[in-house]
Amino acid sequence: MATRTQFENSSDIGVFAKLTNSYCLTAVGGSTNFHSVFESELADVVPVVQTTIGGTRIIGRLTAGNRHGLLVPGSTTDQELQHLRNALPDTVALQRVEERLSALGNVIAANDYVALVHPDIDRETEEIIADVLKVEVFRQTLADNVLVGSYCAITNQGGLVHPKTSVNDQDELSTLLQIPLMAGTVNRGSDVIGAGLVVNDWCAFTGFDTTATEISVIEAAFKLQGRSQQAVIGEMRDALIDNYA
Amino acid sequence: MAAKGLKGIAPVPSANDFLDIVLSKTQRKTPTEIHKNFKISRIRSFYMRKVKFCQDCFDEKLGAILTEFPILDNLHPFISSLMNVLYDKNHYKLALGQLNTARHLLDSVAKDYLRLLKFGDSLYRCKQLKKAALGRMATIMRRQKDPLAYLEQVRQHISRLPAIDPNTRTLLICGYPNVGKSSFMNKVTRAEVDVQPYAFTTKSLFVGHLDYKYLRWQVIDTPGVLDHPLEDMNTIEMQSITALAHLRACILYFMDLSEQCGYSVEAQCKLFHSIKPLFANKPVILVINKIDVTRPSDLSPENQALLAEITSKEDVTVQEISCYSEEGVMGARNTACEALLAHRVEAKLKGSKVKGIVNRIHVAMPKARDDVVREPFIPEIVKQRMAAGKKAYDPDDPNRPKLERDIEAEHGGPGIYSFNFKKTYTLENEEWKQDVVPEIWQGKNIADFIDPDIAEKLEALEREEEKLVAEGFYDSDDSFIDSEYEGDMAEEDVNRGKKKISSMKRVKSNHPTLPRVKAPRSLSNLSQALTKAGYDPSKIEERAILLAKAAGAKRKRDEDEDEGGMEVDEEDEEDWEDDGEMEVDEDTPRKKLRTEKGSRVVAVDRRARTDRSLAGLGGPEDIVKVRKMYAMQAKRFRRTGKKNEADTHIPDLKPKHLFSGKRGFKADRR
Repeated sequence: MATRTQFENSSDIGVFAKLTNSYCLTAVGGSTNFHSVFESELADVVPVVQTTIGGTRIIGRLTAGNRHGLLVPGSTTDQELQHLRNALPDTVALQRVEERLSALGNVIAANDYVALVHPDIDRETEEIIADVLKVEVFRQTLADNVLVGSYCAITNQGGLVHPKTSVNDQDELSTLLQIPLMAGTVNRGSDVIGAGLVVNDWCAFTGFDTTATEISVIEAAFKLQGRSQQAVIGEMRDALIDNYA
Repeated sequence: MAAKGLKGIAPVPSANDFLDIVLSKTQRKTPTEIHKNFKISRIRSFYMRKVKFCQDCFDEKLGAILTEFPILDNLHPFISSLMNVLYDKNHYKLALGQLNTARHLLDSVAKDYLRLLKFGDSLYRCKQLKKAALGRMATIMRRQKDPLAYLEQVRQHISRLPAIDPNTRTLLICGYPNVGKSSFMNKVTRAEVDVQPYAFTTKSLFVGHLDYKYLRWQVIDTPGVLDHPLEDMNTIEMQSITALAHLRACILYFMDLSEQCGYSVEAQCKLFHSIKPLFANKPVILVINKIDVTRPSDLSPENQALLAEITSKEDVTVQEISCYSEEGVMGARNTACEALLAHRVEAKLKGSKVKGIVNRIHVAMPKARDDVVREPFIPEIVKQRMAAGKKAYDPDDPNRPKLERDIEAEHGGPGIYSFNFKKTYTLENEEWKQDVVPEIWQGKNIADFIDPDIAEKLEALEREEEKLVAEGFYDSDDSFIDSEYEGDMAEEDVNRGKKKISSMKRVKSNHPTLPRVKAPRSLSNLSQALTKAGYDPSKIEERAILLAKAAGAKRKRDEDEDEGGMEVDEEDEEDWEDDGEMEVDEDTPRKKLRTEKGSRVVAVDRRARTDRSLAGLGGPEDIVKVRKMYAMQAKRFRRTGKKNEADTHIPDLKPKHLFSGKRGFKADRR
């Protein structure tokens, strides 16, 4: 199920939250409404943790992670690190990464098996990603954008990429990631998928501006209704053509 | 519809309000005080300003009205002709045209009077001219009463028009009055159109929306149409015709076979044929309403033949519904939507835009590149919940889990409640959760010592490093050295490594270390070191002492000479005022650094080598001359109490006498 929500009147919820199959991080806001949206869906399944990273609220863009681990940037304070360590389960490895491209969420897109990273990322960081997140790492661009983490969202079930990604690129990436891929938008036509959408294998949260059509594409792409991507899109084809062409 | 533009027209004031606004604005925003003993040019410009300002105000306000009201020909044909039907295009154009003329008239009146004012020779005459000018402008404006009133009505009506988007997916409901169009609209949307058992209940277009197939659809309910020529149709009917003519929609033609609406089946069929030209290139659905009363099969043979004449055409689909029993309503809606969607997609596939979205309707499926199975990871509890079709959280459930939001609300709401971050910690011992851990303890960052095995790990690393060194991992470029020698080297490396570590441990005190060249070097140190190393230092000592003596003697000689040279200047010393400190202090004896044993330490000479105040001067007579010249020019600054010409200090920036009382023009004079 996809849930629409917003963080303090901003629809870019991917900036303020991080969701994986084994934990969920939310930013500290003026009220606990945003936190509670995640809590209501996930509380009995995975820990939902409120935190800051380096004193900021943009935790979704600064961190990267999956079921196996969480990478935080060098700006994370010792106290935040300790808080996260205490709150996350012991099976999740936590690692601070001294990387020049410190917005790890923007430069890394990962599911539990593979990760796409910014082409200019450090070699050492690449090794850390592979070790901590237990993934294969690929340096890639998405529709000529180097910020792979911003322009796509992937889970073990599927992925949504930048709306300008060509069919060939989609096929290539899909084979690389070994998941079905679709191109789409969130938040009424925004192409920064990573910023408008947080998703894991069984639930998704999208920005408040996301349209019904976009939601159905997202639910299809991440197999949230339990039906295969092709079946759903085949059904939606006419609607999509009429909406976008 | 260009909603913002059409809906956002500012209210048009009536002619009287218009005048009040402009005249009071002129009064408020121009100077008001004038006296007859002022210069005539000032009096003229005073009144000219008023006239000009008034005219500008009129111009601006009229201009705003003229630009805000849309030009009908620039609008979408549907909206344009709808406005033609509702407001009469000619009338509308005339009203705007009249305002435009009024604007030009106002301009020319102002221009005339400004010209006359240039020749006004007294306050009285100027005032009369101004009065006449404003009066004439007011008269012109008062004559615009009717167009202004009309435009205000149009504006109000436009702002109440339904927000019809002429380009989106639209279902258009039409037919005779009272056949159940509005009832159907109420069934499929939430528009809540008024339904009454008399003709022409619906007097204008109504819009409702419905969701079908992930898309939003617009449903337009039109007033009933009677079967007579176009010229005889009234405004209400014409709205329907306009919508039918200009919107690329799916047409739902409603028929009432029970004839409860008061029109015979024959008349209804006839109407279909007469407005058929408007259905060209649009999907058409023939909706037979009120089947709870009469079904097509119940009709007389003649009427059935009439109906068959319509239905036999291939592009008309028949749907039988009853808004009363809700039979077939959703079916009709779905058929209509499907037909329109298919129609629109077909049209779009012919266009070029579809190429740009091919990737959006493509699902890239992976080709296997290895044998690894990459399973999704869904926790058991979620799987069970999905299988049971339950929601994770139900806000209506009385036993729902308490969320942070609820706790916050109980404790005073946002801004007052503060969240306990430690609540969710998963620690070995529950009691540890709320423990306060200091950040800094005894001057050390706790986080640096958080790992209990840090010492072990460091040792392990060191051991590994030593092992690597022992294995010769690092001396790859000495590969030409034979193996025996290599072994010795390795051993030595190990020793050196150990030494390095121990030396590093020693350097704990945080003192700066002097570089060797700056460190004090003494003969005794040297001899000590030499003795220790097994050499005899006596010869070197002798030599050093000899050299030191020679150097000492030389310096003594130099000093004596210097003193003799400087004596020449000493009588002039008092003439220098500022430069006293430049003189090198000769009286203090030079410090001679000596150790207890009498060996001399080399000290760095920091004295200025030359007296720079005398640099570039020839002989003693030049010096005297230069000092005289300096004294001369320094006189000026002594007099004003300034240091030199760069001294621009003003002791009192705002002297009281210049800045108090009526100061007039001298405010900036000192």
